[in-house]
Amino acid sequence: MAEAMADSYDGDSEPTTRTLLRRVLDTADTRTPRRRRSARVGAQKALLEPPSSRRLSSPTKMNVRRRSHRVRSFGRLAHVHTSGNVEEQTPRTLLKNILLTAPESSIMRPESVVKPVPTPQVVQSSRRDSSRGSLELQLPELEPSTTLALGLLAPGRRKQRLRLSVFQQGVDQGLPLSQEPRGNASASSLTSSLNLTFATPLQPQSVQRPGLARRPPTHRAVDVGAFLQDLRDTSLALASPDPGKPAQLLAGKAKKVDAHAVSFPNNSSTISGEDGVEPLQDGVDEEAEERMEESLSVSEVMDTTGTQGSVRTEKSKRHREMSEAVEAKEPEGSSGDEDISGRTASPELASSTTEFLQARQPQFLEPALPPRTAVLSSEPLEPLPTRLPPRARTPGPRPRQDPHKTGLSHYVKLFSFYAKMPMEKKALEMVEKCLDKYFQHLCDDLEVFAAHAGRKTVKPEDLELLMRRQGLVNDQVSLHVLVERYLPLEYRQLLIPCAFSGNSVFPAQ
Amino acid sequence: MAFSTTVSQRKHIKRKAPRGFLKRVFKRQKPHLRLETRGDLLVHLNCLLFVHRLAEETRMNAFENKCGVIKKEHVQAAAKVILKKSRG
Repeated sequence: MAEAMADSYDGDSEPTTRTLLRRVLDTADTRTPRRRRSARVGAQKALLEPPSSRRLSSPTKMNVRRRSHRVRSFGRLAHVHTSGNVEEQTPRTLLKNILLTAPESSIMRPESVVKPVPTPQVVQSSRRDSSRGSLELQLPELEPSTTLALGLLAPGRRKQRLRLSVFQQGVDQGLPLSQEPRGNASASSLTSSLNLTFATPLQPQSVQRPGLARRPPTHRAVDVGAFLQDLRDTSLALASPDPGKPAQLLAGKAKKVDAHAVSFPNNSSTISGEDGVEPLQDGVDEEAEERMEESLSVSEVMDTTGTQGSVRTEKSKRHREMSEAVEAKEPEGSSGDEDISGRTASPELASSTTEFLQARQPQFLEPALPPRTAVLSSEPLEPLPTRLPPRARTPGPRPRQDPHKTGLSHYVKLFSFYAKMPMEKKALEMVEKCLDKYFQHLCDDLEVFAAHAGRKTVKPEDLELLMRRQGLVNDQVSLHVLVERYLPLEYRQLLIPCAFSGNSVFPAQ
Repeated sequence: MAFSTTVSQRKHIKRKAPRGFLKRVFKRQKPHLRLETRGDLLVHLNCLLFVHRLAEETRMNAFENKCGVIKKEHVQAAAKVILKKSRG
């Protein structure tokens, strides 16, 4: 009957939204609508009374009149009137009614056409009724996508196909969004049915919204092979490796172990105690981790100071992810030969950590297993203070260079800044030499001046005299002028005496 | 101020004086002498002026050779001149 009505009404073989709605209304008519509908129901009932439905004031909808003509029974009239009334208002109200009265069973058919219908209904209802919390909360997103499609539903039949397609698009777009909120809200019957009916496969959100696609973090693949090759090359070049040991180790263990094992030859050659390889295997890992981190930091520090070769830097950077132990050992091993004697020296942290790492190596020759957190952070620190004091007296050449070069590099950078031109590395080294000479001259001069004044402390007056002799300070240009020109405010305040309130001068003369 | 302290270039030059470094250098050279607190700031000023002059001279040398890059020879020649000048 409903179908007949639908067909008769529209004359289209293809079911349209309106027909579907009508069907829904027919089936749902048995239920009593909610409070808001009561008025309409009353109106419908009132309308039912007059025999003719022509009084329906819906001039815009030809279908209404047609339906009214076809009405032959009360029920039909009721249907018609309800539908007419609903149609008379807007599709919105239509949908709302449907929502209210929709039965749990399949309003939705497994047809693609049916699918878009419930969603706009839901959307519309959510839009309109704030009381319907669950549905409303679920599908707020559908509104913008389906609004356009729904808006097109109102006018004539010929556009219904178009509208439906647009509608479907909007619905499909809104589907992935709707799925999520639906999951959150309580599973109402309508929503569950809606979920069931949407057989169209949901496109991944990323396809519809490419901007939201999240790329998986690209992990920089470490070329283990190349690293191992480099290690072996350098290790072979540096020390006389024990071929038996690395071969055994390499054969028996995994990749990471191999990497570690490669560094072993270096250590084994430099340090003797290798017997406790296996029993110490497990213990090494954690320790090695510490060493790794320290060596990494050390190596970084070293790099900045420029003392360490590029090998260490590259290796440390490259294999940070993989096996930190290797990095520590390999460069350590390479420099271990030279620095075993130099271990004693170096109050500096860099060298001390280096020593520590080197000292650790003989004990733990095993490779570090997959990186663990620094559990034994206390361990590395303990041997450090014990070893440093007895060896602080003989400063090796390397630790002496590092801070010196760091300080010099400050002025070298200033030089390159003032030069405003690209410079060669050799030129920069030349500048360092010049600075060294300059400092020597400076100290000698200051010593002479202080001795001339009968002092053993170099005072600012000596400095001023020096600058005067250099020609920087003369009668036209005073020291204070230069101070103001070249030094930042904080230093200016310290150098130039200034009078403050309360008859005080800072700095005091 | 004639010489602005703001750095327009990309790399920001620290305006801090490496006071510890200067003190250490002086101590290494002349362990029997002492350097005052404000003295090392003036030493730093002196270094700045020295480096400035050196850079200027080097640039002039490079321009004379019509080089776009500063080379070791330019620096060497400039250093000879400036070091002689800087001798108190």
